[in-house]
Amino acid sequence: MGFFHRHRGLTPYLLLAPGILWLAVFFVVPLGFLAYQSLETGNIDFGYAFNWAWGNYSTAIRQYRPQFIRSLEYAGIATLLALVFGYPVAYWIAFRGGRWKNLLLLGIVAPFFVTYLIRTLAWQSILSDNGFVVRTLHQLHLLGSDGRLLNTSVAVVAGITYNFLPFMVLPLYVSLEQIDGRMIEAAEDLYASKLHAFLRVTLPLSLPGVVAGTLLTFIPAAGDFINAQLLGSPNNHMIGNVIQSKFLELTDYPAAAAMSFILMAAILVAVMVYARLVGTEQLTGTAV
Amino acid sequence: MSAVAVDQQAPRRNPLVAALAFAKRHVLTVYSLLFFAYLLLPIGVVVVFSFNHPSGKFNYVWQGFTWNNWIHWDGVPGIRSAIVLSLEVALIASVVATALGTLIALALVRYSFRTRAATNILIFLPLSTPEIVLGASLLTLFLNLSFVTFGLWTILIAHIMFCISFAVVTVKARLVGFDRHLEEAAMDLGANEWTTFHKVTLPLIAPAILAALLLCFAISIDDFVVTYFNSGNRVTFPLFVWGAARIGAPPQVNVIGTAIFVVALTAMLVNVLLQARRSKGAA
Amino acid sequence: MTDQLSRRQLLERAAMGGAAITFPGILAACGGSSGTKAAGGTTSVEHTLAKTLHFSNWTFYIDTKGQTNPTLDQFQKRSGVHVDYREDINDNASFFGKIQGQLSRGQSTGRDIVVLTDNDRYLSLMIKKGWAEKLDKSAIPNMKNLVEVQQHPSFDPNRDYTLPWQSGMTGIAYNDTITDPVLSVDELLENPKLKGKITCLNSMGDALTLVMLANGDDPTKVTDKSFNAAFNRVKKAVDNKQIRQFTGNDYAPTLAKGDLAAAMSWSGDIAQIGNKHIHWNVPKDGGALWTDNMLIPKGGDVYTASVYMNYVYDPKVQALMEAGDPKRKITGIYYIPPVQGAKEEALKLDPTVAKNQLIFPSEAMLNSVHLFDDKALNNQKYLEQWQNLISG
Repeated sequence: MGFFHRHRGLTPYLLLAPGILWLAVFFVVPLGFLAYQSLETGNIDFGYAFNWAWGNYSTAIRQYRPQFIRSLEYAGIATLLALVFGYPVAYWIAFRGGRWKNLLLLGIVAPFFVTYLIRTLAWQSILSDNGFVVRTLHQLHLLGSDGRLLNTSVAVVAGITYNFLPFMVLPLYVSLEQIDGRMIEAAEDLYASKLHAFLRVTLPLSLPGVVAGTLLTFIPAAGDFINAQLLGSPNNHMIGNVIQSKFLELTDYPAAAAMSFILMAAILVAVMVYARLVGTEQLTGTAV
Repeated sequence: MSAVAVDQQAPRRNPLVAALAFAKRHVLTVYSLLFFAYLLLPIGVVVVFSFNHPSGKFNYVWQGFTWNNWIHWDGVPGIRSAIVLSLEVALIASVVATALGTLIALALVRYSFRTRAATNILIFLPLSTPEIVLGASLLTLFLNLSFVTFGLWTILIAHIMFCISFAVVTVKARLVGFDRHLEEAAMDLGANEWTTFHKVTLPLIAPAILAALLLCFAISIDDFVVTYFNSGNRVTFPLFVWGAARIGAPPQVNVIGTAIFVVALTAMLVNVLLQARRSKGAA
Repeated sequence: MTDQLSRRQLLERAAMGGAAITFPGILAACGGSSGTKAAGGTTSVEHTLAKTLHFSNWTFYIDTKGQTNPTLDQFQKRSGVHVDYREDINDNASFFGKIQGQLSRGQSTGRDIVVLTDNDRYLSLMIKKGWAEKLDKSAIPNMKNLVEVQQHPSFDPNRDYTLPWQSGMTGIAYNDTITDPVLSVDELLENPKLKGKITCLNSMGDALTLVMLANGDDPTKVTDKSFNAAFNRVKKAVDNKQIRQFTGNDYAPTLAKGDLAAAMSWSGDIAQIGNKHIHWNVPKDGGALWTDNMLIPKGGDVYTASVYMNYVYDPKVQALMEAGDPKRKITGIYYIPPVQGAKEEALKLDPTVAKNQLIFPSEAMLNSVHLFDDKALNNQKYLEQWQNLISG
């Protein structure tokens, strides 16, 4: 059976090696620089010096707690919306797509071919105060007569949801497509209703996809800044915006670095709580 | 007794019930079509405005129809090299990242080894790092390596780096719950590990690999911040658009976005039709 | 243009950039010390032209004809220097964030000329940190054509390091189908009829210049008192939701579509919006003048860059860049040129542009726009306060 069989213990490491090495060099090392920077003090005029400045962290949490929390909120809502709206479509493509599956998948990803800025400008056009959408909402009294959609938290969350939909739908599809149609038929024969069959069989089998999609949506969304910048008003800004301004306008690199680590820690905690909820084997991959 | 069997035994169907049944069967399709409409709504706007003839440099108000932008699609200096660079990077980065990511996913799901938990966390970390510090700290690394010149390679390295995680998570979703029995059966029949992998496993996880490729391609072609820091003085399509938007992104930007979309769609369509013909021919 | 160079050639050129200048810089960086001076450049300026000039600029900030830039081609014909023109600057802060890594390590940025705006901190920061090369004034006799008002800016009193590229004004634009004329900052920030329908610029220099003038204070000499007065006024407008958003130039689409009644905006953009109901004015109490300046980053080729700058300060060249030439299908920049005599030349090329007040403003208009105190732009406390306000 050859090399791999004899060296079973070695196989996982060989498989991991190229990718992990890439990440180790081009991510972990830079992260090390970032960590170093987060403990520096100073300013652009006179330079920065390493100082074990843990104060950067405590100041960041103290000053920007609302933005941290808001980011997790917005990302959480967007993820939930993406899941609820995206699941049926992933299901449809997986089971009804037939030979058009790949084409449909491409359709999901297609908006990304038009740069973020251009598609957001298009949305600004569509959701314009005087546009068809807003006027209809006014007429249906779903929106106050001087209400608007743009530059609100609704717009920011909607923007995040829209832009992360592919990250939710594709992993969902990947997991759903694997389910044998006959298993669903059998389930439908056994259970009283299709809904029941879905809940008892399909949904649990698609859980890896749900977990994957949730992670790929929530984690990057929490650090997003661009939706808040273009679609929000000053009190909708997320922690990503603050980190951005710390880095660029204030040239306060230590603060930006410290805040990034706090964000990463917060996300990690959220993910671990989530893992407890769904069961760790979904996260780690095998029922060990 | 399945619901379908009951229906077929019913003597004559009330048209309302029939309509309701029709609706129920197709609600998913209708929903999905609406979903796609929603997804592609901004694309529609972009396509429409690619035919606009703006009087100033801003392309926000419809002024009149013209084929000009399409005919002179590269009439704006810099746009052609920007999109070529973006496509190059996206193609290479998505292939490499998906390959590396698939290997990692295989290792994570099928083997238990000591550093597995740590590896999982390592995969999530790039996703959670804000782009600006991700880009800037990678830049720092490059600056400390004096032999590095900024340009295609640095952009490529950065893109592969942040795409790997997406590929891993996507392929993993397929590998978890993968029925190992098929592989075991193949090996019982005498196939060695490599043959099993490439004739059984790979085809079965192909949809996941395709999904990972698409996702990575999309991320790469749209990336702005990390690319900005590591591009030297090369300009990718997003960088061009962001720069152009300051004075007014020309309609050619819409043209190119539409074109990529159409080309990709056509390629896929051709693929589907060819496959249909092939399977008909085989049958 | 650059498309014709193969990638390898490009990389080679970038690596050799200011040839003798870059390599020692990099060696020094390897040694770990930052702030080492790049050799060559500063003390003895060699009077030989480089083969290539690496010029980084903002997008659409030069004359164009199809895929080419006529003034750059003309420069090449006259001097033999090829201009590697890159439009890779789209924001002062991000561009600085990108090149500060190299500069702080004493490495060359691979660029000979960059363009940064004066009402942001970065231009003066580059000079203060010694990250800018001194101009070779002996190579720029045309510097005498620099307009009076630009000759002694606070961040570079003797114009040793910078020369203006183009200027623009900041004022207020309004949509006449939605509102009566909005001609003052008072109206913009405090008219309740405009609540939620106005935007303010996110650039502290621009926004506070306007507000301070409306308060009767002098933006060129900012004190804590005048800063706080202006800041609090803006804060009030944020708190009572008068201000819808702080924008860069992304106010343009919302303004064009009628979602905004008025916006604090830049002069050059308005003509480009294509909506004849939108009017731009310098506010009653005065507006802001900003200038994008050319600067030679450390490690750049001083002589070649200076020769180019001299070329640009020739009124004929400036006029062509500015107004374009409809007869030859050349599109101009349409911002405000800093070169005397450009207007007269522009009249020969495109009279409509030459008579456009936003491109060649009158004396009166120029007197009503002001600069912002350079020291205040670098005051970390002010900057933090401002960022916390706009990024609530």
